[in-house]
Amino acid sequence: MGLRASIVGICTIIAGVIVGFFVTQYMGHTPPTVTVSMSANTVEGRPVVDVSFTTVGSVGSGLHPNWVAYLNADGNPATYFHVPAGSVVRMTINQQDSATGLRNPYFALVRGTVGNEMTVNKKVMTSINPDDSAHTFTIPDIGVSVPLLGVASNAPSGAQNVVQFEFIAPAAGTYRWQCFVPCGAGTLYGNGGPMQTLGYMAGEMVVS
Amino acid sequence: MTDKRRRYIRMFALVWFILAVAGDIGLALGPTPPFTASDLASSQSTVIKVLSVIAWPVFSAVLAVIAFTLFANRVAPHEGDVPPRELRGDSRPQIAWITASIVIVLSLAVYGTVALANDQPGAGISTASASLPQPASASDPLEVQVIAQQWWFTYRYPTYGGIETPQLVLPVGQKIQFHVTSLDVVHSFWFYALGVKADAVPLNDNVFTATPSQTGTYRVQCSELCGLWHGNMNADDAMVVSSSDFSNWIQQQQAMDAPILKYLPAYSHTYAPNPLSYGS
Repeated sequence: MGLRASIVGICTIIAGVIVGFFVTQYMGHTPPTVTVSMSANTVEGRPVVDVSFTTVGSVGSGLHPNWVAYLNADGNPATYFHVPAGSVVRMTINQQDSATGLRNPYFALVRGTVGNEMTVNKKVMTSINPDDSAHTFTIPDIGVSVPLLGVASNAPSGAQNVVQFEFIAPAAGTYRWQCFVPCGAGTLYGNGGPMQTLGYMAGEMVVS
Repeated sequence: MTDKRRRYIRMFALVWFILAVAGDIGLALGPTPPFTASDLASSQSTVIKVLSVIAWPVFSAVLAVIAFTLFANRVAPHEGDVPPRELRGDSRPQIAWITASIVIVLSLAVYGTVALANDQPGAGISTASASLPQPASASDPLEVQVIAQQWWFTYRYPTYGGIETPQLVLPVGQKIQFHVTSLDVVHSFWFYALGVKADAVPLNDNVFTATPSQTGTYRVQCSELCGLWHGNMNADDAMVVSSSDFSNWIQQQQAMDAPILKYLPAYSHTYAPNPLSYGS
């Protein structure tokens, strides 16, 4: 009886430790974030922050080397960033992926940015051909949506379109953002894998 | 039957009567969701109110009988072991109960059938073969297409050049014919305040009609589990506005959509983006 109770007790403790380990890991996990730099300038009294991403057709390493992703400055998949409420967010996206095309052509329209426009390689644009879209940067809750022009499929490695735009950060809160191009290669309708996984083609903007 | 048992019966009958009457007064006079922001919502609200008013006395009667049984048949500790009484059928309450049940259920069936028959034609019924919209007039319903995609609703207004917007704005007092479809997986468009809830199914055109009767800002959301951001596929910016405000808004959207209009597909009740060109 004593031996049996001891075995049960030891197994319970081991199980508790294992469960506690994974719960601690989960609760304490901080996803990779994108470093945001505060500008010394202000626009109409608003602070200005610069946020930069690079989009690639495949990460090349890690758990999912073949997945498409937004990368931070370190070259790692990262889709979380923090900005101050009311600030002017200056986005720069170095778009290195080729075009997939939009399922809904409407998302080829630039909307919700300052002036409802963007620049692509310093050229002002308000829309692109939906078939030339590699990705979008879209924050539905604040109506920001920007199509990202794809590079030619035979472009040399490292070729990119530099997409820049600005929007005003909303009130404090957490806002999800995502890509509307079905770019999850090899998944049903292209909407699985990286499209359904935070840190690749979906993320959160935390406004505080 | 003992005097004590009769006392219990009278007491619980009185409690049930008070509960039933008080509850029914509250249900009849109080607001009932989804309230009155459209004719469809008002109709649903009335149906729910009628069902609740009928159901509440039945429900409270069940509670009263349970409570009566617990109290009337309770055996005090000092009474020791009491053999259970032999139960014999009593035809009078049985007949009363069965008759009441039949009357209530059949009445509700008739009422529900009539309410359904009187509902807006096309409500929830696919009319994928319906003709495309004609230019709007005051008497025609305004057609608004709801396009669901992972994970945002967009809306097309075919009578205004087929413009598409991510915000739903409707004119008050105008009958709206919603055409709901999806570009990828199954979603469900739920405009709770208007009483509209329609599945958005790829290659299907799900039609609902409703006439907004109150201006305001409302919530729309997806009510079909559809992936990562399903819980966020909602918007609190759907608006019902005056006709003049609606006209102004439409003009703004037409100007805003100008760069993209040439790329939008011709208006159709369903769309078939080629899935083979994606995800491969």
